[in-house]
Amino acid sequence: MARNGVAPAPGTPWRLVTVVGLLLILAAAVVGRLVLIQVVDQERGAAFLREQGAMRAVRSAEIPAYRGMVTDRRGEPLAISTPVITLWADPLRLRDSSRLGVLADALGQSEVELQQRLDLYSDKRFMYLARHQTPQLARRVLALKVAGVGGKREYRRFYPAGEVASQVIGLTNVDGKGIAGLEKAYEDVLHGRVGKKRYIKDLHGDAIRDVGVVREARPGQPVALAIDLRLQYLQHRELQRAMVETGAEAGAAVTLDAWTGEILAMTNHPVFNPNSRAAFDYSATRNRVVTDAFEPGSTVKPLTLVAALETGAFTLDSIIDTSPGRIRVGRKVLPDPLNYGAISVSRVIEKSSQVGVTKMAQAIGHEPVLSVYRRFGLGEPSSIGFPGERSGSLPNRERWSEIEKVTLAFGYGLTATPLQLAQAYAIFANQGKRVPLTLLKRSDGEQAPSERVISKEIANQVLTVLHRVTGSEGTAQKARVPGFSVGGKTGTVHKVGPSGYLHDQYLALFVGVAPMDNPRYVTAVVIDRPKGDSYGGGAAAAPVYSRITDGVLRLRNQRPEVEAEMPAQLAGFGGGQ
Amino acid sequence: MMSFRWATPLLVAAVLASCLAIIHSTHASRAYYADLQRLEGTHWYLQEDYSRLMLERSTLASPHRIAKLARDELVMRTPDLATLHTIVEGVH
Repeated sequence: MARNGVAPAPGTPWRLVTVVGLLLILAAAVVGRLVLIQVVDQERGAAFLREQGAMRAVRSAEIPAYRGMVTDRRGEPLAISTPVITLWADPLRLRDSSRLGVLADALGQSEVELQQRLDLYSDKRFMYLARHQTPQLARRVLALKVAGVGGKREYRRFYPAGEVASQVIGLTNVDGKGIAGLEKAYEDVLHGRVGKKRYIKDLHGDAIRDVGVVREARPGQPVALAIDLRLQYLQHRELQRAMVETGAEAGAAVTLDAWTGEILAMTNHPVFNPNSRAAFDYSATRNRVVTDAFEPGSTVKPLTLVAALETGAFTLDSIIDTSPGRIRVGRKVLPDPLNYGAISVSRVIEKSSQVGVTKMAQAIGHEPVLSVYRRFGLGEPSSIGFPGERSGSLPNRERWSEIEKVTLAFGYGLTATPLQLAQAYAIFANQGKRVPLTLLKRSDGEQAPSERVISKEIANQVLTVLHRVTGSEGTAQKARVPGFSVGGKTGTVHKVGPSGYLHDQYLALFVGVAPMDNPRYVTAVVIDRPKGDSYGGGAAAAPVYSRITDGVLRLRNQRPEVEAEMPAQLAGFGGGQ
Repeated sequence: MMSFRWATPLLVAAVLASCLAIIHSTHASRAYYADLQRLEGTHWYLQEDYSRLMLERSTLASPHRIAKLARDELVMRTPDLATLHTIVEGVH
């Protein structure tokens, strides 16, 4: 109709057809290409496009994982993670914000300083505003909705017991990884697995919606220690008190349950506050109970006694003549404080007589003594796996001079840690059986593995002697505990300086077992460099042992051997006969 | 030939049904994910409360504080041997 009604210019139809045809071909080409890329997926075109899209819009974020709690044996928290919020900023967007003043106020920072930091990071897209803020404060800041400010969930570690258990528990770094103490030793158990999720962001990098969880966050496992916080606190208090009374610079104490091998308390001085990193002294983070090995001196004489009894050459009642109160070995003269005359082997240990022990050592030789030391765990690390634990050392010589054989028997020429000493005495308390030590709580009724290292008879004989040491003739009368009979051995060791033994610096040691009628609790006390006249093990360390053990026995519900008459008003309570 | 006539509407219906099912399941998935987010938020708040309360409790119950309160306010002291008596359960 149109063709007939309006006279068309000649040639028009083929031009129109050509143009329309070309346009159609172009459209078909575009559609065809789209189909090829998106539907047919030739040459991985679709995958490429998806990837490019995701690169621009999809981001992944970490889901923080909860770090396991560390508790004492009664469930009291010793290390606990609390949620905190870390505030960050995008300097590029925040730099020119008109609300910097408000933000700085809410953060409690000065606006000038904030501006300076923003200028410093002006070419970056991320900087921390304030790390590890309490949720309340962080929410107040985030509620301002300042563009370019964000919050990230993190955990912060708190140590409720503070300095009381600081060296044992250790520390985590700002990223929540254990760097010292138990936090490091049990990192694998405590640390959770960080999860991962994906989200879609807008142009400014703000999350629009989450796409999904790539990996679930898995919380860390809790760890229950053998430590009893009440005993730990008590030990800490007594050690601090001893530091003040003796003027010493450092000290350490450890209490074991010999039957189970559990470490009930372990304290050190100097201390640090694990909740504040402001004034931080790394040397105070050392857990001296396991990291400091020293010559144990007289505290190993009971082990020499074991060697002497095992050879059969001596009994507790064998008489040794210690007159004239000194003995020459090689070029050295070893003196006793006074001439004890002819005394029994038992009395030699009670009085800690150098002459007596020297004569015993000369009679039996060094091999039996070394054998006992090895069986008692000296020179090898304990089983607790504490970071930085020292194993001490036993001498290993081709040829032994006379003086070396003798000094070995009274505790020089070898080194041991306080924990090793406590472990050795635990063998006496255990009637000759060695139980591996542990910092973790053993479950109720769990039978600790044990290995017999000396006979029950000899262990009991040594216990009798240890008890006599605290008697009226012994060196450790100050170790006595009211209501209980205890046993132990003192030690006073010269400290070693750059050029040999220092004449005016000592370590005062005491290792003891209680209660004697049913020996179970072993405590070792080390006082480093006590000042004044009370520098010896019997004067500086034994009183600390006494006060610690008094508390240990009370808190562990041990019944005193002697008791007051039953008061009339209490008689009805069930204790009456 | 008869079967093709029936097949077409059947397939169309099936496609429609599957479309609706996809819409439904996508919606459900979003709703569940929103729930998850909300619950995670709650979890976080509860954990915040829990650890704060734990800290508060252990601060209040710290042996140091207990010892001080017992000594100063309640005038308690450790009994000496003269006044100490152990009551053993089950002994009459």
